[in-house]
Amino acid sequence: MAAEAGIIAIGAGVAIGSAAFATAWAQKTIGAAAVGAAAENEKMFGKGLIYMVLPETIVLFGLVIAFLLWTKM
Amino acid sequence: MFRPQEMTRTLLIGAKQDLEHTIELLHTLEVVHIIDFKTADVDEHLRFGAPTTKASGASRSLLKIRSSAQMLSLDREKQTISEKLPEKQIQRDIALKIQDMELSLLSLTETKTRIEEHFRKIDERIRQLQPFAAMDIPLEDYHGYDHLTVFTGYIRDLKKFTEHLPAITENYELFTSDADDQMVALFIIKKHAEDANKLLNDCGYTEVKLPEGTGLPKQFIEKWTEQKHDLSEKLLQTTKDILEFRKRYAEFILASEEYLTIEVQKAEAPVLFGTTEHSFLIDCWIPKDEMQQVMETLEKEMQGSLYIQEIELKHNDEPPTLLKNPRPVRRFEFLLELYSIPNYRDIDPSFILSLIFPLFFGLMIGDIGYGILLILFGVLFMKAFKDSEGISNIGWYIIIAGVFSSIFGLFLFGDMFGLPFMLPPHEAGEAAYSWSTLLGIHIPIPSVIHKMESLGMTQLLVVSIIAGYLPLGLGLLIGMIVEWKHDKKHAITKIGLLCVLTALALLIFVMADWTIGQWLKPLKGSAIAPFLWDMFIPLVKSGFSFGGLLFPYVAMALGILGILLIIIVAGGFGLVEVLEVTSHLMSYTRLAAICVAKAAMAFAFNMIGLGLILSGNIIIGILGVILLIFMQLMVFALGALSSGIQAIRLHYVEFFMKFYKGEGLRFNPFGYKRKYTTTK
Repeated sequence: MAAEAGIIAIGAGVAIGSAAFATAWAQKTIGAAAVGAAAENEKMFGKGLIYMVLPETIVLFGLVIAFLLWTKM
Repeated sequence: MFRPQEMTRTLLIGAKQDLEHTIELLHTLEVVHIIDFKTADVDEHLRFGAPTTKASGASRSLLKIRSSAQMLSLDREKQTISEKLPEKQIQRDIALKIQDMELSLLSLTETKTRIEEHFRKIDERIRQLQPFAAMDIPLEDYHGYDHLTVFTGYIRDLKKFTEHLPAITENYELFTSDADDQMVALFIIKKHAEDANKLLNDCGYTEVKLPEGTGLPKQFIEKWTEQKHDLSEKLLQTTKDILEFRKRYAEFILASEEYLTIEVQKAEAPVLFGTTEHSFLIDCWIPKDEMQQVMETLEKEMQGSLYIQEIELKHNDEPPTLLKNPRPVRRFEFLLELYSIPNYRDIDPSFILSLIFPLFFGLMIGDIGYGILLILFGVLFMKAFKDSEGISNIGWYIIIAGVFSSIFGLFLFGDMFGLPFMLPPHEAGEAAYSWSTLLGIHIPIPSVIHKMESLGMTQLLVVSIIAGYLPLGLGLLIGMIVEWKHDKKHAITKIGLLCVLTALALLIFVMADWTIGQWLKPLKGSAIAPFLWDMFIPLVKSGFSFGGLLFPYVAMALGILGILLIIIVAGGFGLVEVLEVTSHLMSYTRLAAICVAKAAMAFAFNMIGLGLILSGNIIIGILGVILLIFMQLMVFALGALSSGIQAIRLHYVEFFMKFYKGEGLRFNPFGYKRKYTTTK
């Protein structure tokens, strides 16, 4: 039972970890471009912010899966 | 409140001799948004207007005033005035005063520059001579030899140099300054100069050029330092004079700058108009509510010599946007405009934003301790930025969020600084901390949701999904209403999406019944109880079981209906929107995620800090207090920042995308907000 719980915990960790990594990767690129755009034209701030935060949903998917796994422990 | 103010497009046509009077009137009315005239628009006989004769004179004076302000380094933000100056008085005095000011200011600044220049020169000379001051050799003795070479400069390794130098020759003389800066002057016979140079370079030698002149460096420096002292006194006096001058003229500069700016604005206004040889035409937007007053004023003042015509709003017109909201809501317009100014045909979401944004912000923090800190921080923020209208609004958002956070902290989570008031029943007696165990008194504030428990986390997830369903559904509904007039297809897609969204929410409600069902219990005695338990819940829950999963009929029917609607009007590609709306609903789980992440962080820090404080050792205890305060501040800062950003993101991305178009044009009335002058 303990081993099974351990495997589940690792799975949850992988789920949230890889999702967070994917989000970070996407935000890295978008963030740099968004700051560049906002520096050139302040009106781009709002749009830039939106593009910047779009990938955040990916990490939430990871979170939900990790959580569903956790409740199975 | 939910729509920008209605605008009326109006044409004002008059004879050229009335032009200045009309401009004057429009300027005082401050409700007319003039549309930039483009020749092709109306008629080929119309041309651009030319600035009136006053323009160039006023511009020139304005330039002079601004350059004077620049020279006096006048800080417009900090300068206060005793009273507003009447325009008539400025008009009377301005020419003479500008001339007077220019003359005295020029001589003052010239004196100052001259003194500063002199000061710099002396400083430079002293700096050059300083290295030689320690060695008591007159300057003329350093040069003019036939058989000697002189090296002067700094050396890093003097010891090595003095050790090796005798190996080259005995015929030299070496002067060194006091130990610290290791300045050397080496007099050496010319034929050994090359070897000496090599040795010097090996010992880290940097040459210092000999300044021109004769006499002992020390004496020079003394003399110049004295001069410098005199000069600095003079400089101080001149600076004082300039400050005095600035004090005397500051009000005049501010007032006349404003007066001239207005004059230039009026004089250049005709550039926006269309003109013929004898007449002018102004194309403008006027808020519908102001129309009556504008008409009356123009009729009365111009005695009917101005022709006014309202034009019907056309389909492709783009009227400017002027939002109309009560004062507390108006503060949230800043947040809206940060995204994009609403389009004239948009629904104005400021009111909804002002309700939901602080609610989400507060829910994510959900702690009475941090809530009170937020309120304090918000008040300080508003005080610090009270001069800048936009930024100070952020302080207001923080205050309201703090209030919501305190309410949630008190009634929902029972938390203060990440520590619950009471432990959950099954943990009572265990080695966990709560305010009750810490203070030794029973604080009867229960936690409805325990953030750090598996059940609490599930409840939070469900709460966030429901919290997401409401704005998303509202957004789709608004979007449908707005689109209905323009594009029926889009409107029907939105109905389909609303069905899918509702199906998803119902599904989650059914799945999570065991977690949140207990909250409905207080309703059991109320009037809606029969509806809830006899109709709604059984209907929603009825379904068939397959593979251990429950498939409720109502949710499935709604979902299929929605998808069918979308496929029929938008085709297969419309299904992308179904995925989008699903991910948007999931996106609201960030409310739970941040709430728990912040609580977990605070929990961990509390364990560390309280462990140290209660360790029994005084020094470790004090260390623990400092550490705990620092860590708590960190949790607060991180929590406030991420909650604020996430709360606004949920609006910008998920909510606004359902109906908001933005990219409107700000209503910019012809006029000027006077700060330093009056027309009386």
